[in-house]
Amino acid sequence: MLKCNGSVTMKIKSKPNQINRREFLKKSLAAGSLLALSPSQVLTQVPGQKATRNKVIILGFDGVDPHLLKGWMDQGKLPAFQRLRESGDFRTLKTSCPPQSPVAWSNFITGMNPGGHGIYDFIHRDPETYIPIFSASKTSEAAKTISINGYEFPLSKGDVQLLRKGRAWWQILEDYDIPSTVFKIPSNYPPAPTKQRTLSGMGTPDILGTYGICNFYTTQSTEVDPDIGGARVHEVYVIGNQVHAKLPGPDNPFKKEHPETSVDFVVYLDPVNPVVKIKIQNHEFILREGEWSNWKKIHFNMIPTQSVQGICNFYVKQVRPEFKLYISPINIDPADPVLPLSTPKSYSKELEKEFGPFFTKGLPADTSALTNGFLNDGEFLEQDDIVLEERLKMFDYELNRFDSGVLFYYFSSTDQRQHMFWRHIDASSPLYDEKLASHYKDTIFNIYQTADMVLDQTLKKADKDTIVMAISDHGFTPFRRQFHINTWLKENGYHRLINERNQGEDSLFMNTDWGHTKAYALGLNGLYINQKNRESQGIVSPGAEKDNLVYEIAGKLEKFRDPQTGEKVVLKAFVADKVYSGNQTTYSPDIILGFNRGYRISWASPLGRIPKKILEDNQDKWSGDHCMAPQVIPGIFLANRKIKKANPALYDLSPTILKIFRIPIPGEIVGTPVF
Amino acid sequence: MVHILNSVLSKFFEIIFLPFQNISPWFGMIFISLLTGLIMLFIFKLTSDQEGIKKTKNKIKAHLLELRLYKDDLRTSFKAQGHILLSNFKYMKYSLKPLLIMIIPVILILIHSNFWFAYDSLGIEETALLKVKLSDDFVPTELDTEITANDSIQIETAPLRINEQNEIDWRFSAQKAGVHEIKIKIGEQLITKSVSVSQNPLSQISPFKKRKNIMDQLLYPLEKPLEKNSFVKSVEITYPSSGFHVLGINFHWIVVFFILSIVFGFSFKGFFGVEI
Repeated sequence: MLKCNGSVTMKIKSKPNQINRREFLKKSLAAGSLLALSPSQVLTQVPGQKATRNKVIILGFDGVDPHLLKGWMDQGKLPAFQRLRESGDFRTLKTSCPPQSPVAWSNFITGMNPGGHGIYDFIHRDPETYIPIFSASKTSEAAKTISINGYEFPLSKGDVQLLRKGRAWWQILEDYDIPSTVFKIPSNYPPAPTKQRTLSGMGTPDILGTYGICNFYTTQSTEVDPDIGGARVHEVYVIGNQVHAKLPGPDNPFKKEHPETSVDFVVYLDPVNPVVKIKIQNHEFILREGEWSNWKKIHFNMIPTQSVQGICNFYVKQVRPEFKLYISPINIDPADPVLPLSTPKSYSKELEKEFGPFFTKGLPADTSALTNGFLNDGEFLEQDDIVLEERLKMFDYELNRFDSGVLFYYFSSTDQRQHMFWRHIDASSPLYDEKLASHYKDTIFNIYQTADMVLDQTLKKADKDTIVMAISDHGFTPFRRQFHINTWLKENGYHRLINERNQGEDSLFMNTDWGHTKAYALGLNGLYINQKNRESQGIVSPGAEKDNLVYEIAGKLEKFRDPQTGEKVVLKAFVADKVYSGNQTTYSPDIILGFNRGYRISWASPLGRIPKKILEDNQDKWSGDHCMAPQVIPGIFLANRKIKKANPALYDLSPTILKIFRIPIPGEIVGTPVF
Repeated sequence: MVHILNSVLSKFFEIIFLPFQNISPWFGMIFISLLTGLIMLFIFKLTSDQEGIKKTKNKIKAHLLELRLYKDDLRTSFKAQGHILLSNFKYMKYSLKPLLIMIIPVILILIHSNFWFAYDSLGIEETALLKVKLSDDFVPTELDTEITANDSIQIETAPLRINEQNEIDWRFSAQKAGVHEIKIKIGEQLITKSVSVSQNPLSQISPFKKRKNIMDQLLYPLEKPLEKNSFVKSVEITYPSSGFHVLGINFHWIVVFFILSIVFGFSFKGFFGVEI
């Protein structure tokens, strides 16, 4: 299962000759640990401190939808946004193609489209193996190691590489000594080298090197599913009012075959009262049923002199009759980051010192825990409230000390709550439940109100020389029906299976007959031609044969209608050559699927699974989405200045910032200033 | 007797640390280390055979020189090494008496300093556990429990009883600064435990209250002990542990204390004419 907007989880059956989820994900772990454990750490750097008369504050509210925003502004429910619209301007903001957060924010960061920055999706495909790979970063282990008595010692350091190309606007500002603070911006992990203050956002892994794997301990054996995505479920037993369990940690790169590390812990249950005491390492704390712990630092020992430190929190879901304990994904500790989190390195430590441990994982709220039922709606909201509270405190801190240059501040909760709670405002959602909806229908509005409060605080701080912008990377729509694109390709003769009887059982195209397959889809919007001399088993010749095939498939997709509703599924199938410019085309899909409102690629498709049906209802709590056609879901753009450009786009904002500081706009930027 | 000693000493430490409570604990640590270094120096001077130590040290130096001069003469070298060894034993003999005398005030200083430097007091809204340990033949779930405190302390959970460990725990949070009291009724027994809530960087913390016996009274001198025949063995509050950060490494206070005391002792030995 792969979730849009960062929460990558996969349902893959484990077979001996098959790459499973853990194998796929673990690549990014060990070398990262080695890298962080290496002695050569980046030294503390000091950002440029040139005082500027002009100042810019940009609030990045991920996923805030212009239609919802306008409606609530018109009703007077969002006074700060309304004030900004009246005193300045409000436009929809053209999003990226495809409108996925890593792509969209890369457009914003670089002023380019994917052809320039090279980020086309959450995941790309390796044309050699047809296997998905992370699009935004690459982790490699130490190239040379020495083996001594079952231990492996690195002779060189590992590496974490940011795959986004192009210079970020704050890097260009740095050339002119204009200070910037860039908080949690997506598509910037590991943080691009700079002396500016930056903290990495979406794309930042947990300590396992994944986008977030929680641990769930239960005495209810029916909940234990080894194939579940985004979680490890452990069956535990209550013996003598005690539960003994292990918290899995990262693999140990210092030992041969990299065995998984773990930490033992004990939970003591009161025989009658719904309270437990948890003892783990030097922590000992009591939690009531339905209560969250604060952050706990956990050390995973590798060798006697080396350990990796992470932070997690605990939630006691139930004490009796069944015992259920949730432990959040283990975040990288900002006080002692095992992987690069910030520039300068001291910035994450400074924030930790000021506020204590905080969520460092790219998208902190655990959407897969809600999807899988480890957390219910209320519990998920409680977790996201913790995220939001942390963000708001740090925002206050950064806003108060901001006096020069640019402050960019990002909020993820707007996006995460719309993904998970859209079903409560959409009576047509397959998961609409009137009772639940009555309870949670205001969740999305409430987070817009929080955004309004943040904007109000910002406007009060802004003097006449401060340009305030409130932006989002895309809007939101319902996700009611899921489209199995690879099944559609197969039904239309573009994709062939080795064994028809096994259809739907294999993932990662294990059942695909590449010698007779012309096209395949991977990722959330990408469709690829199985091209000769590009794909390892390509059969379609580049040039006319490929071009004709691309247009043929695109045309058919745009004509295809959902037999159940009669609606178009794909509003627009974009041909890559027509929408991208630049030289970073290695991972470009050939067709980008622009889905109609209410439709999205299925959960099975992005990782190469080919079920028997072409269309199905989306039965997932992840019920709002934005991986549709860009024109369906533009973002928002409000500013306390008149916006001169009629149809501003995300990639216009980078040159806009540069222009405000009278900095020449580099030639590779495709956007143009909006003021 | 022990109670009087405890009262006097804890008052004494309260007075000497009074000027340092609102500033970094480093100042209090430097002060107590300096004081300890000087005390050790004076005890050493008064109780040791200064002349004997001086002579022994000179002999060692002489034999070291002998070793160097006659390094080609195996017999003389061995003889010199033997003399050095003997002189070392003699030096240790001279040091033993002052060390034995010194150990008493140093242990008392360590015991009392531990309650100033080993723990951080609770901050406002900070939570901690209150842990009550019972005698082996008392089962927590078979006893009625009641816990009360004034509005400065909020008891946040029902009792967590671990029969296998004869333990009853509660979680509480601090609401107001000050030294507060929690009252715990277990069965028919009523016990109290003090709780320190403070914003001061340095404050006196009493994490344990134990059943009455001389050793525990000496080790946990800040609160009146539990009755000798009480079925409650101990009451503990889990204060956060404290330490001293040097170049990003957290050191236990005792390490810092000994290093500083020794440094101060050696720094002033010339000034006070002490032969060590």
